[in-house]
Amino acid sequence: MTDGIKRRDFLKVLGVTGASATLTGCSEPERLLPYVVAPEEITPGVATWYTTVCGGCSAQCGMWVRTREGRAVKVEGNPNHPVSRGGLCSKGHATLQHLYNPDRFHGPMIREGDRLRQGTWDEAEQLLAAQITATGNVMFIGGRMGPSMSNLVDEFVAAVNGTRIEYDAVSDAPLREAARITYGATGLPSYDIANARLLLSFGNDFIETGSSPVAHNKGLAQMSAVDAAGSKGRFVYLGPRLSTTGLNADEWYPIRPGSEAAVALGMAAVIADDAGAAGPYADVLRAYSPAVAAQAAGVSEDSIRELAERFASESPTLAMGPGVGGHHRNATAANIAVMILNHVAGNVGRTVHYDAAVSAATGAYAEMESAVSAMAAGQVGVAIVHGANPAYSMPAASGFVEAFSQAAFKVSFASAMDETAALADLILPDRHFLEAWGDSMPRSDVVALQQPVMQPVPHFDSKSAGDVLLATSVHLGNDFGATTFYDFMRNGHMEMHDDSVGDFETSWRLALRTGAVEHDMGTTAAPSQLQAPDVALSFDAPALDLGGDLTLLVHPSPRFGGGEFSNSPWLQELPDPVSKITWHSWLEMNGTTAEERGIREGDIVRVTSPHGEVEVPVWIYPGIREDAVALAMGGGHTNMGRWANGSGVNALALLPSESEQPSGAMLTLATSVTVTPTGERRRIATIEGSSDQHDRPIAPAVALADLGHVEEAEHDEGHAEFQELQGVGGFVPVPSEGGAATAFPLEGSRHGPYAESHDLPRWAMAIDLDKCTGCSACVTACQAENNVPWVGEEQVMMGRDMNWVRIERYIEHMDATQAGDLDVRMLPMICQHCANAPCEPVCPVFATYHTPEGVNAQIYNRCVGTRYCANNCPYKVRVFNWYRYMDDVPEPMNWQWNPDVTIRTNGVMEKCSFCMQRIRDVENRAALEDGRAINDGEIVPACEQSCPAEAIVFGNIRDENSRVSQVVSSERTYRVLDELLNTQPAVHYLRKVTFHEIASGGHD
Amino acid sequence: MSQSGGLLASYEYLDSTVDAIEQLKKAGFKGVKAYSPYPDHHIEHALGYDQSPVRVWTLVGGLTGTATGFAFTTWTSVDWPLVVGGKPIVSIPAYIIIAFELTILFGALATLIGLFILSRLPDLRPAVVYDPEFTAGRYGVYVQAEGGRLDEARNILNGQEPIELREGEGGANV
Amino acid sequence: MSNATKDPIVRGALAHPDVTRLDDVNRDVLKVLATPGKGWWALFSLASLGLVVFFTSWGWQLYRGIGVTGLNSPVGWGVYITTFVFWVGIAHSGTLISAILFLFRAPWRQAIYRAAEAMTVFAVMTAGLFPLIHVGRLWHAYWLIPYPNSRFLWPNFKSPLVWDVFAITTYFTVSATFFYLGTIPDIAAARDRATGLRKKLYQVISMGWRGTDQQWHHFGKAYIFLAALATPLVLSVHSVVSWDFAVSIVPGWHTTIFAPYFVAGAIYSGVAMVITLVVPIRKVFGLEAYLTTKHFDAMAKLCLLTSMIVGYAYMSEFFMAWYSGEEIERTAFWNRLFGTYWWATWIMLTCNMFVPIMLWFKRVRYSIPALFVISIFVNIGMWFERYVIVVTSLHHEYEPFAWGIYRPSLTEMGILLGSFCWFSFWFLLFTRLLPPIAIQELKEVLPPPMRKQKEAHS
Repeated sequence: MTDGIKRRDFLKVLGVTGASATLTGCSEPERLLPYVVAPEEITPGVATWYTTVCGGCSAQCGMWVRTREGRAVKVEGNPNHPVSRGGLCSKGHATLQHLYNPDRFHGPMIREGDRLRQGTWDEAEQLLAAQITATGNVMFIGGRMGPSMSNLVDEFVAAVNGTRIEYDAVSDAPLREAARITYGATGLPSYDIANARLLLSFGNDFIETGSSPVAHNKGLAQMSAVDAAGSKGRFVYLGPRLSTTGLNADEWYPIRPGSEAAVALGMAAVIADDAGAAGPYADVLRAYSPAVAAQAAGVSEDSIRELAERFASESPTLAMGPGVGGHHRNATAANIAVMILNHVAGNVGRTVHYDAAVSAATGAYAEMESAVSAMAAGQVGVAIVHGANPAYSMPAASGFVEAFSQAAFKVSFASAMDETAALADLILPDRHFLEAWGDSMPRSDVVALQQPVMQPVPHFDSKSAGDVLLATSVHLGNDFGATTFYDFMRNGHMEMHDDSVGDFETSWRLALRTGAVEHDMGTTAAPSQLQAPDVALSFDAPALDLGGDLTLLVHPSPRFGGGEFSNSPWLQELPDPVSKITWHSWLEMNGTTAEERGIREGDIVRVTSPHGEVEVPVWIYPGIREDAVALAMGGGHTNMGRWANGSGVNALALLPSESEQPSGAMLTLATSVTVTPTGERRRIATIEGSSDQHDRPIAPAVALADLGHVEEAEHDEGHAEFQELQGVGGFVPVPSEGGAATAFPLEGSRHGPYAESHDLPRWAMAIDLDKCTGCSACVTACQAENNVPWVGEEQVMMGRDMNWVRIERYIEHMDATQAGDLDVRMLPMICQHCANAPCEPVCPVFATYHTPEGVNAQIYNRCVGTRYCANNCPYKVRVFNWYRYMDDVPEPMNWQWNPDVTIRTNGVMEKCSFCMQRIRDVENRAALEDGRAINDGEIVPACEQSCPAEAIVFGNIRDENSRVSQVVSSERTYRVLDELLNTQPAVHYLRKVTFHEIASGGHD
Repeated sequence: MSQSGGLLASYEYLDSTVDAIEQLKKAGFKGVKAYSPYPDHHIEHALGYDQSPVRVWTLVGGLTGTATGFAFTTWTSVDWPLVVGGKPIVSIPAYIIIAFELTILFGALATLIGLFILSRLPDLRPAVVYDPEFTAGRYGVYVQAEGGRLDEARNILNGQEPIELREGEGGANV
Repeated sequence: MSNATKDPIVRGALAHPDVTRLDDVNRDVLKVLATPGKGWWALFSLASLGLVVFFTSWGWQLYRGIGVTGLNSPVGWGVYITTFVFWVGIAHSGTLISAILFLFRAPWRQAIYRAAEAMTVFAVMTAGLFPLIHVGRLWHAYWLIPYPNSRFLWPNFKSPLVWDVFAITTYFTVSATFFYLGTIPDIAAARDRATGLRKKLYQVISMGWRGTDQQWHHFGKAYIFLAALATPLVLSVHSVVSWDFAVSIVPGWHTTIFAPYFVAGAIYSGVAMVITLVVPIRKVFGLEAYLTTKHFDAMAKLCLLTSMIVGYAYMSEFFMAWYSGEEIERTAFWNRLFGTYWWATWIMLTCNMFVPIMLWFKRVRYSIPALFVISIFVNIGMWFERYVIVVTSLHHEYEPFAWGIYRPSLTEMGILLGSFCWFSFWFLLFTRLLPPIAIQELKEVLPPPMRKQKEAHS
């Protein structure tokens, strides 16, 4: 047996020396130094980090990319980015899967008859140039792109005197138009959510869509956090349906769809002592009153009046107008109404800013309509589509597909097949943003650089659209002063550069390293006066196409956006934050409505509008008005990729092809529908067992008023004796008598390695449920970091989803008179790393045991798969490899796998490891840097890194000064089921704080 | 005609068998062996058996099992101490079960071995002093007559009306 | 007729006029080993066919992965563990009848205990397969065995699964030993009737048994000691199996009454299975003279008793769940009766509690067809008891958001069916090769032939 011990000692040594190899030549800040192509700098086994900009959506968050051996393996939020300030959403993480998407084109594709053949780039560019010279009439349909690319496109289009159309399916056009009309602003207003004391969202799902979901998510979390004074900001959601954003509201006013303007103006009328405060909109204001608003919205007059009074008194406040999900025929007017409300409440310049305009997806749908008619009329010779997929993202009724095929020569820059590319004659596969240069201006005073973090994925012969345009221009005999897009962009920045702030090279390198630079634009006088409208506006409830008795709400999916993210298995399998459904589409319907129609959950219904019909299963949701049904975008792809195709239905099929006036945005709230059962049923691919806590101590909450008395409350239920029991666990931060923290090593572990482990850290985590918004970014982050497989719709239906993080969405109820009575609790459930772990003793082969650092370790290669541990885990956080899921992952998708984490095989149990590989990485580095102590916050698990709300804190709970110890010492701290089972979890939760008294699910 | 040898008589009746044995014993014959289709206490009594030493095997085996059970579990736990579920490294209550099972196992196996050794099994040599009827319905008595007492033995056996009486020089070839 | 015929009635076992002489027993019992009839071949080929299903399903599972079952999270255990516990339970009555009733000198055991013991051995052989079928990585299952591996890492003796390994292997070894030991004299008897190859074979298996006074003497003692060791073993094995559940914290598993409750259930199902098996044997091999209604009556009474114990256990579980006031426990048991799997629970209650009430009537206990039908019911009921315990407890545990549903797959059904064929396969072979009734013990029951009586009559 001594032999055995020697063996282990040897391995310890091996570990450290291995680490020393790991650490040669990497020291934190320098690792962020950029390089484009320098393979010789790559040290095998050592991660290299790059700063870049997320090209996933219009928010353009700052990104850190971790590469290993020249492959990007993980993306993370860049805390230095002035707008997103760290954190990343699920979509951002999933951009990696678009980089390694096996469905990408292997090279430029040229149509021959009804099939595409692969050609060379030179050939393709020649062809494009030839076509342009031959047919002329170039129309460039472009989605969102960085300023430099945008300039290039402009120059290109101008040179061939064509037309350029900006188009983005999910756009904030009405908001932008409203800002232009009221304040003459150029971009979107920027919001200071964090400092609002009362936040009103008129159907604005700002943590899912809009100008900067991640930043807004962070803001919401900061606002709703309880401050030192024991008060917290209040979030009120006014809208027909609770989105992910809405689920975080403290109050919900289920107002009638399209009644936002009326309510906003009704409130403004109360606030403004005289209508004159509304300047040019005075008579609009006169026309409205709480009574009128109540009439329109279907909520009580008192509630509106009372809300208005609070909005005035609890300043600074903030109101946000309807977003993409609420683009009805008067959406611009509704946004203006909300701006008037902000104006009269004096929020402009405090929580709403029109000077630092936020650039965002604002492509107007109206332009596309004209483009369609132009193409249909055969006036378009060469139609070029870039960064957009109108064949999918425009309502079928728009006739885009037919019109597009009228164009003489159709070009697509899509890097992977999509519905539009499928129609093209020439496909010039663009590079993924992680392979190409680019830049962004998330805010008018911020420039962020997007740099390639790796060589292009060799499977795909792609070329950046900028380079293609430049090359083609050469063929066309035009010269834009650069041969590569990199030069073009750099020149542009050099011209913009103001030498007073230092030489260009320095600031350029700085920008590359930090990811973004803020330019002091000087204090442009913030527009404070409302301007008279220069267009006709109607603040009335919008007209709806009559298709039935239920209003159809179409909203962007938190997972797929407008559908551009659909071909990612991570996102397909990510449970929707609201419904917890994966893969397929569903129709949200209120329980009462369903009952009246004799519809049960899982029934497949036919949804018919004047413009089309879809068949989709029903999901019963208490968070939606009885007179409305909701359908998310992003499903029903027909020609996008193996994971997107055939999954779900395309909600746009039900919408009219019409643009909102005056903004020209695509209508999402425009029609009512009939819902008729087809008689068929299906199993919903959900991960939700029950949304009811059954009054168990899982996700308790505490009323704001009760803060300060929580301790007593717990002692009443005999909490004291549990304190004593904690002697075994040692996860309690402050060593009280019976001193938990000092009571380590565990009872009975006096022999062996645990005996001398007093100086070892004790890893623990704290999750603040008052901050958690349920956005699910951590789920995808964890999946990316830990090589967690996706299992597919069938397997999810069997209950075999494998995510290590499960965001539980429990629905409690509160006593509410006017408002909705839902009290939603979000709870990220991961392995609790219990000190008294029920899973450990039942394993016959020691495949799971407790490390001296307090982590519940799972040794994959020792596991024989009895599954006893999973049965005995009260938290159900252990997932099993029922098949060899990873074998099904196609090249080069497997390039994303994290080399530091084992790929688990068939028949093995797995679960959250507290990102052990990251812990070891830091520990080894510290050991080599003269055995220095590990700094608090140096070890950051993937979930914490990704959390935009900063709700997760990880650290050593033995150190009484560590962040986690500090957080855990809060009176709101509790541990799930601990008081029942004495499992002594290492994961502490902080109760959600509510304004209302806890009616159910309180446990206090 | 020599005066010594082995005699094997087979009887139909139990009482005649028992009588034969008792008379042989009384006459002081050594090496009297009985055959029967089932264990019969009359015969055992006639041959004057006392306790079988098999029980010692059982006892020793069982105790060894108990000791092994506790020793093995404790040693392996201490050899590589791993904390599971915050339980003591050496959790005696859990190990009682192992100890118990080993007690039974070792006890049973020891008993079996003891039986085989004591009753000379297995013995696959062709059975000479034997009659297949012994497993069916007949009883048998074998006596090794030494020192010219063959006739005496024959008379005693014949006295109980055997169905058959076999006789062989020195008994070896009976 | 002589008192040879009256005597047995006094001795309790045999009352058949044909059986008067010791060698009549050999005649009647050994004829069973003669060339098999059509019926036997039919059953045997059916069983063999089932074996094909069994191993095909298992092979498919090994090839694809454990995912071919319906198992999931939270229901990590299903039909396999259910069937495992079922067979372990079946295995119990054998040793109970042969060992415990032997110590209690129950007069009626001699005729049936051989079949019962054979059943025990084969049932354990069947049960033992299921943990192997169940694990995710069969090729590493041997890690549960304590052997010095390259890292000197031993199994976790705190884990009930390791207790199982010890309990089941011990039980198999001991009951097999016990079974074999009791058979030796009878094999010798068979040997003395057989010829050619069979004779040689029997000679080896019987270890050259001669039935000498010395052999009988030690044999008797050894047999008693083995019985004494087997008795606590019987009671312990199913207790250990029950601790697989009771030691966990799953609501519906974490119960103190599990050990006695499981043991009673095991004996219950075991005796029922003995009836199910003995009825056809009796008919096919014409052993009416030996397996009399008296025996069936006795077994029926045992069933009745254990069914009442089991019923009591059910009731006390429900009562305690309610009386404890522990909400999660209550929910669990309420869910058993009226939740997704209500049907399984009601099948269990009907078959195990209500149907056996009929056994109160003498007429039922003495009607062999009736007993046969009831025994089938009990077998079904006892399988569902384990299904209810395993599945309903797991699918609704502490974390409501993680509740789930389990639907057994075809593969699992194939293996369940196959396991019965695997069992029948061995049992049928047994009826061909070994005397299914203990010859020598029956002879002990018979009155020994006495010359004196003979003379008295003549």
